[in-house]
Amino acid sequence: DIVKATDPSVPSPAMTALRSARLLEDLKEVSYPEGVDSPNPALNANATDGKFKYDRDFLLQFQDAYTEKPNIDWDARIKECIGDLSESRSKMGS
Amino acid sequence: DMSIEESTPSGPLTVFHSPEAFNVKHPLMNHWSLWFTKPPTPGQKDAWAHNLKEVISFDSVEEFWGVWNNIPKPSELAVKSDYHLFKAGVRPEWEDQQNKIGGKWAYQFKDKRAVPIDELWLHSMLAAIGETVEKDDDKEIMGVVLNCRKGFYRISLWTRTCQNKATLVDIGKKFKQVLGLSEKDILEFNSHADSAHSGTSRARSLLTV
Repeated sequence: DIVKATDPSVPSPAMTALRSARLLEDLKEVSYPEGVDSPNPALNANATDGKFKYDRDFLLQFQDAYTEKPNIDWDARIKECIGDLSESRSKMGS
Repeated sequence: DMSIEESTPSGPLTVFHSPEAFNVKHPLMNHWSLWFTKPPTPGQKDAWAHNLKEVISFDSVEEFWGVWNNIPKPSELAVKSDYHLFKAGVRPEWEDQQNKIGGKWAYQFKDKRAVPIDELWLHSMLAAIGETVEKDDDKEIMGVVLNCRKGFYRISLWTRTCQNKATLVDIGKKFKQVLGLSEKDILEFNSHADSAHSGTSRARSLLTV
């Protein structure tokens, strides 16, 4: 096995895939692996070019499938916009 | 490695097929922005506008989960924090031109320890990005908001208008289900104008479901 790079300035394979993957235009293009349910077809009976609705159960399936950060700047962004969580936890108790 | 290639499906690869080499993602009907309001620091003036920041915008299901899986959950936030998930290009404020004639369905969860707030906020966002709260032609949903306060959590659903009662009531009923509320719980709708005038969110409700 190759040891995964831990250099934070290099996007992980998952991040790279997230950035470079194309947006589906037709849900029928995809055959999902066994055990993964397709979106409720009734929701998309009138769907046009890439405008889809997704039910909660379909969306929840992704929770464990994409767990990587959305981009390499994420930690800095969270720190700037939200702050240090340990800080906010201590405020919560005060 | 030929054995891996041979077992790889020939069609588009989703994140379910390959978490590290997927080549398609699931588009959302709208582009969304997640905003956060930091609690003011003591003595800070005009804190609210100053502390409201857009964290990220995204337009796919996969990106949404990248955000949710790597961001503080509501139960971890300090009092006076807010999350706002709005359609991109709309500031999550009454003052935004696109919110001027709008309103919101809102519910306060007063038993902070008992309420599964992380799950309810997640479900609220999934209903928004999955576009399952309104009908295609309604075009009412602007965003959803979570307020963490000393005595309660509040989740709101902001709408573009406050006039079309039948449509808004349908939306309110759906949202009530999303929040897991029972028949006896009351979800209230107020126009932003009324909320602004009263200075609080205690204005007389226009609608209830």
